[in-house]
Amino acid sequence: MRARDLVDWEFGTVERRIFWDEAIYERELERIFARSWLFVAHESQIEAPGSFVTTYMGQDSVIATRGDAGAVHVFLNSCPHRGNRVCFADSGRGRQFTCNYHGWTFGIDGALKKMPKMGLYKSTPGFRMADWGLKPARVESYKGLVFATFETEAPSLGDWLGDFRWYLDAVLDAEDGGTEFLPGGATRSVMNCNWKFPADNFAGDIYHALWTHLGGSEPTLGRHGGVKVENEDSFQVSANGHGWEFNQSFLGNAAAMGDRDLLRYMRSREAAITARLGEFRAKMWGSVASATIFPNFSFLPGYFTFRTFQPKGPTVTEIHAWTLVPKNMPEDIKDRFRRGSMRTFSPSGLLEMDDGENWEQSTTANAGWVTRNQRLCYAMAPPGEVGRDDLPGDVTAGQLSDANQRLFYKRWAEMMDAESWADIPLAGAAPAEAAE
Amino acid sequence: MSAILDQKPDYATYPRLTRDGAREAAAQLIAMRGKGAPVKPSRLSEIEAFYRLEARLLDEERYEEWYGLLADDLFYWLPLRENRYRRDERPEFDPEAMALFDECKADIAVRLGRLRSNLVWTEDPRTRHVYLVSNVEAFETAVAGEFEAHSAFIQYRNRSEHDQAMLCGRRRDLLRMAGDRFEVVRRMIVLPQSILLTKNLSAFF
Repeated sequence: MRARDLVDWEFGTVERRIFWDEAIYERELERIFARSWLFVAHESQIEAPGSFVTTYMGQDSVIATRGDAGAVHVFLNSCPHRGNRVCFADSGRGRQFTCNYHGWTFGIDGALKKMPKMGLYKSTPGFRMADWGLKPARVESYKGLVFATFETEAPSLGDWLGDFRWYLDAVLDAEDGGTEFLPGGATRSVMNCNWKFPADNFAGDIYHALWTHLGGSEPTLGRHGGVKVENEDSFQVSANGHGWEFNQSFLGNAAAMGDRDLLRYMRSREAAITARLGEFRAKMWGSVASATIFPNFSFLPGYFTFRTFQPKGPTVTEIHAWTLVPKNMPEDIKDRFRRGSMRTFSPSGLLEMDDGENWEQSTTANAGWVTRNQRLCYAMAPPGEVGRDDLPGDVTAGQLSDANQRLFYKRWAEMMDAESWADIPLAGAAPAEAAE
Repeated sequence: MSAILDQKPDYATYPRLTRDGAREAAAQLIAMRGKGAPVKPSRLSEIEAFYRLEARLLDEERYEEWYGLLADDLFYWLPLRENRYRRDERPEFDPEAMALFDECKADIAVRLGRLRSNLVWTEDPRTRHVYLVSNVEAFETAVAGEFEAHSAFIQYRNRSEHDQAMLCGRRRDLLRMAGDRFEVVRRMIVLPQSILLTKNLSAFF
């Protein structure tokens, strides 16, 4: 099986098999999830030394902690002795993790510290404490977002994100003082869909909003949804499989939360954000847009919901979602984002409720033999001029397009077919000063 | 006919709580631990009848009538649940934290606006609901005509062919006598699931 035979990223077709096949899913765990940089936490979730959160990298349960010296550690949440899980809390603070099975105890950095009747091991020839810590991952951050990978051959996080960093600053560096996740942990829910349907949707499918979200956006945007999406002055940009579709409306997404005071506040920040980021990126801040950092970390400017689509099998995905805000934002405005993002993009959200249904049915339809042998269409490629040559990454004109999704599946196929990281192409990033 | 059936509702004019009002309501719900005197049996019976009515209106998608049972100063809250160690000193329910519902009456009206747009493909064909409410206890409060009520529920939903979701939980309510009937002033819904084992909460509790 060659993944590149399952995906035609030039015209744009995809074999449905990639959404249900158990063998393909197993290979994704190995070749996509075990060697990508995966989002694990926002630094604000583990600010104090000793604080931790648990999450997943692929289907590997991991713990992310703040060490005593301030460094973030990420390691497997599985005791190397008999394999039991060592941490059962979603978050907390402590000095150590002790396995319930035999009492092996690990430090906040994951190193094995002690176990009952240690003398039995001390007298065991060849046993070294240093060999039996919780398996550590490589950890790097970009402007508050902590990523990790277990792949020693992977490039740096900076090279992995490449040109996407310049765009990421539109949500991660719009205001002075950095960002934070609002408190309370992740909103988590289960969908019976393949993880790639939500991931490709966020990478570049604003097209669905014109139909899927008509009802959900009617109360806030007006009769019959009022979702306005045009290909004039809007773009898709991709780098290394990461994709962002957006327009230049500054607060088009935010408007769907239906909070006029919040929109007034956002307007009041436009001049300062423009001074900081330049006009082009400032207008991306809360605009009609969506993005995916390959493979499964997505966000929506404006609502500022950030989420991972955690794979739990070829046809089961968990959504873990948080809301990101600038740290210096007034408390009242943060609270408006908390409630606004909940009311639109959470399991009770006016908009998210309609997405899940689509992705589940797109997945379950493949039970049919004839159905599953029909390719899906990712061919939309309207012509248009970008009109400027200073934008980094692969840029196409018009946000109504399948361009990013074709590049998402190109990257997927490249990683699936590559024997090692050396075989995976990486786009060279433009120097940061190339644009604005 | 309720105001929410107007063609172009201006939700900004609908009843809202201030942030402080919502926090005060949350604090009151958190403090509701059945400390007051139990209501007399006839009052308990009236409250149980009210819950049966509410469940039937929701089962039959009579949302406008259900909306009419909500007080203008409604606070309606479904907090997230986290797995935490017993030694963890953080409060289990924090009104500043992310939630699944954190609503005033105007927010409920917005949700109903979605449903009656006739553009919600996921509710067409309709979902079939059965809502069971049980374990009802009610207590007097410091305010005459306001009652603290606790109940447990099972909410079953089925739609399409194999699509189903069953949620069990507890509710803490503050009910107020409004003329000859009750209205819901505050409601906290406590689900046991830390990961919602279904794709959405396209329902009311």
